Amino acid sequence: MSAPAPEFLHFTTHKSLTQRLVLSTLTGRPIHISQIRSSSPTNPGLAPHEVSFLRLLESVTNGSSLQISYTGTKLTYMPGLITGSAAGLGTSGDVIKHNLPATCTRSVSYFLIPLCMLAPFSKAPLNVRFEGEGVITSATQSGDISVDAVRTAILPLYEHFGILSAKLELRVLQRSCVGAGGKGGGGVVELRFGSQVRLPKTLHLNRSPGRVRRIRGVAYCTGVSASNNARMIHTARGVLNPLVSDIHVAAQYDQAPLVSSHDKSDPKARKRTGIGFGLCLIAETASAGVIYSADVAAPPEGGVTPEDLGLQCAYQLLEVISQGGCVTRVGASTVLTLMAMGSEDVGRVRLGRDIVGSEDLVVLGRDLKKFGASSWGLRDVDEDDSGDIIVAVKGSGVGNVGRKIA
Amino acid sequence: MAANLGKRKRQATGEATEKPRKSKRESSEELDSALEDAQAIFRRHFEAQFKPLPEVKKAAKPIEAAPEEEESQEDESEWDGLSEVEETEVQVVEHTDAQSRMAAMSKEELKAFMSSKVPRSAPEVSLLRDKAGSAIPDDDDSEAANLKKDLALQRLLAESHLLESSSNTTVSGKNRHKATDMRIQALGSKTSILKQEKMPMLHRKGIIAKQTDRETTRRKEAKENGIILEKAKNDKKRDGKRDRGVGAPGVGKFSGGTLKLSKKDIFDIEGPKKSSAGRGGRGGKRGGRGRGKSF
Repeated sequence: MSAPAPEFLHFTTHKSLTQRLVLSTLTGRPIHISQIRSSSPTNPGLAPHEVSFLRLLESVTNGSSLQISYTGTKLTYMPGLITGSAAGLGTSGDVIKHNLPATCTRSVSYFLIPLCMLAPFSKAPLNVRFEGEGVITSATQSGDISVDAVRTAILPLYEHFGILSAKLELRVLQRSCVGAGGKGGGGVVELRFGSQVRLPKTLHLNRSPGRVRRIRGVAYCTGVSASNNARMIHTARGVLNPLVSDIHVAAQYDQAPLVSSHDKSDPKARKRTGIGFGLCLIAETASAGVIYSADVAAPPEGGVTPEDLGLQCAYQLLEVISQGGCVTRVGASTVLTLMAMGSEDVGRVRLGRDIVGSEDLVVLGRDLKKFGASSWGLRDVDEDDSGDIIVAVKGSGVGNVGRKIA
Repeated sequence: MAANLGKRKRQATGEATEKPRKSKRESSEELDSALEDAQAIFRRHFEAQFKPLPEVKKAAKPIEAAPEEEESQEDESEWDGLSEVEETEVQVVEHTDAQSRMAAMSKEELKAFMSSKVPRSAPEVSLLRDKAGSAIPDDDDSEAANLKKDLALQRLLAESHLLESSSNTTVSGKNRHKATDMRIQALGSKTSILKQEKMPMLHRKGIIAKQTDRETTRRKEAKENGIILEKAKNDKKRDGKRDRGVGAPGVGKFSGGTLKLSKKDIFDIEGPKKSSAGRGGRGGKRGGRGRGKSF
């Protein structure tokens, strides 16, 4: 590239790394991140899932370049064009296959959510299949949500931006909970993002979120007794039934996935991994497009009863509902990023006070400003006494560079 | 806590050890109070030197007045009743019936929700169900509503006999298929959708035989009982010539590259013998082909 020496934006630490990489790719500004776990004597530098995300970014873009220092504590990233899974660029069929290593500790939603933010601005449809020994489809203890929550709570948010949800698909070909020691799984997940836009529509989601009208959910078991599903659902309904009558939770039972056992003497030997169970609940309100979600999974070391888990998930859902707003904590970064990338018009979204005050959103706001987006305007909701905040975001009109040229 | 432990011990050893136990307990209580006093002194001393300590809530003794009561009762009867500790402990039995009515999504909804697509927030109401006659309010007098009511009535009249069967009295399942079949046939379909197209010959023969058998017995019984039934639908009789195809010989049977003529064919071609020509010549000729048909 014969472009003039680019001006790097400097960041430190591994916090909200994916968010920064996504913003860099969307705005086309190169970044330099230092002090990545530099104080850790045992595990300095990038974690396996972060490296894996970087590789994913390289495979969905064209012309991006990446430099990681010897210890992994420093990272330089120069973004390229988001090409999606166009033919001839490392795709097989029409999907990019991305292999996650067995040391991955994060759920596949860690990759899916940032990838979905890039996908609307891709040049071609973006189809990625996650496979390998590190794909965890369930929720994890580190706070990642499950694939069911991504599909039922995050993907519907894209409808607000003029992205056709009929063209979005998240196929779970094999489920897997967290493997032994909190590492790895054996799931297979395929994201098909077939709707690309030039500019996302301006969002006006400042209405009252309304009352919860129905609750849906998925209870999943992999490799453990399927009766756990019924037990989780039963206790969760015990809490929620007096509040909402329309509750339906689907039960999903799967065999535990088979992965290689890494036995030197018998290379063909396989073992089962990623057993466990979990529950994901979605609450929809009378106001269209407002979805609250809660997600709980059993820890890899076990020792919890399905009853406890069901109860915990129900209470978590109630807590999320009590935080209010039109977008939950897990969906807020997606919505605010897309708003910032939208047309040069002011969009508004109503968020709960606790959500606006959360660390990741504050960091997101600062990062956006650093990347050249305009600052947010915050205003209290004065129609009711919910204490929610209306965030006004002016779009930067960046949009889809690939579409602009084409 | 101390009281509890004492009680256990008493239960184990029985009444014989009642007296020494009591004294032991009294002494332990004295010891407790002495200890507390000492602690209070230490505390005061400490607080005078440093800052006040946070208030420590003493765990309330579970049953304070119980020992006195028990003592009075123990004198009267040998049996000292159930232990009070066990009485105060509420046993919680949680019965979870996992098999109880699960959250049952309808089949379509489950399919839509669990598919790989993004679930629709508002489920589409299926058209089939929306068309139910009951969905139209009775006081709607518009032309369209009247037409709908007419159609519903017509269908009810035409299909009500399906509901009379004792085995299935609903409009779903088999009856629904039968109703659909009737409607399609009313619209001009030649064949029934319920008729199986391909099946082994023997099966089909068996079915047809059974059908005719059933029909004949029905007719026979009706005749014996003097019941007049509808006219039997008789099979179409073949009249006129058999279609022999274009260019095929008009006589005999052509098989294996040879045209085989039966005696009758030969007789028909030759005509009656000359010897008897005077008697039946014309008659024979007039019969010609026609006579063959009456065989």
